[in-house]
Amino acid sequence: MSARPLLDLELAAEAAALPAMRRQLCATLERLRVPAATRDRLVLAVHEACANVIRHGYGDRAGGRMRLSVYRVRQWLHFRLRDQAPALVPPTLVARDLDECRPGGLGLPIIDQTMQRWCWLPQRHRDGNVLNMWCRWSKGVS
Amino acid sequence: MAEAMQQHGVDQSQSGPWSVLDVYGEVELSWSPDLRQEVLTVLAKSSALAVRLARVTYIDSSGIAALVEGFQRARSHHQRFVLLSPSPPVRSVLELARLDRVFPIFPDLAAATAAGG
Repeated sequence: MSARPLLDLELAAEAAALPAMRRQLCATLERLRVPAATRDRLVLAVHEACANVIRHGYGDRAGGRMRLSVYRVRQWLHFRLRDQAPALVPPTLVARDLDECRPGGLGLPIIDQTMQRWCWLPQRHRDGNVLNMWCRWSKGVS
Repeated sequence: MAEAMQQHGVDQSQSGPWSVLDVYGEVELSWSPDLRQEVLTVLAKSSALAVRLARVTYIDSSGIAALVEGFQRARSHHQRFVLLSPSPPVRSVLELARLDRVFPIFPDLAAATAAGG
């Protein structure tokens, strides 16, 4: 992993903080010349990850924090989202079948369809989770 | 209804049998519960709802969920529910969630009416 992230952003775990996060992430991806369609999908996927932290990690309780870091590692973009919410139980984090039409539960499928790899690591012996997401990308290729 | 400085909002109107919600701006976590309530409130008193999405600049899964809930409620109550002219960001998310095959989507109200909604 490169020593310095392309973006390192600490933000409140609340919905009001998400538009500014999206704008900064979008600007970062624009600087990398990520094609617009790919950029928008990535911004949406990261937004969904943050929304999951707010709604399910912190349970909409005020005062939580999260930290988004973005790295470029060779042909991969690596998005890391850390929080201090109670550790989630990994088996519950399964992207649902999109052929099932129901409201809710779309966040993980969006992440799953956008990122080539993702994994959610609860911290052992203390609160906190780390979501790592990777998207393969090379300049000029969407 | 909404002030010019707001980043999002919904204008409501009536066109024949159709109640029309014209949604604009960013539809996401901070505001989608209000949109959900707006959709359900209109469906409680109207037999046909068209949600125009041409001016939506961003939508997340919570906004899509509000539309799905409205669609399912309308279907279970034998009401009409259509989406009109989704903007490219909306269409992209609908396609990603494979909901472009679920929602009745039309370019305008005339097309929805002609198709029987």
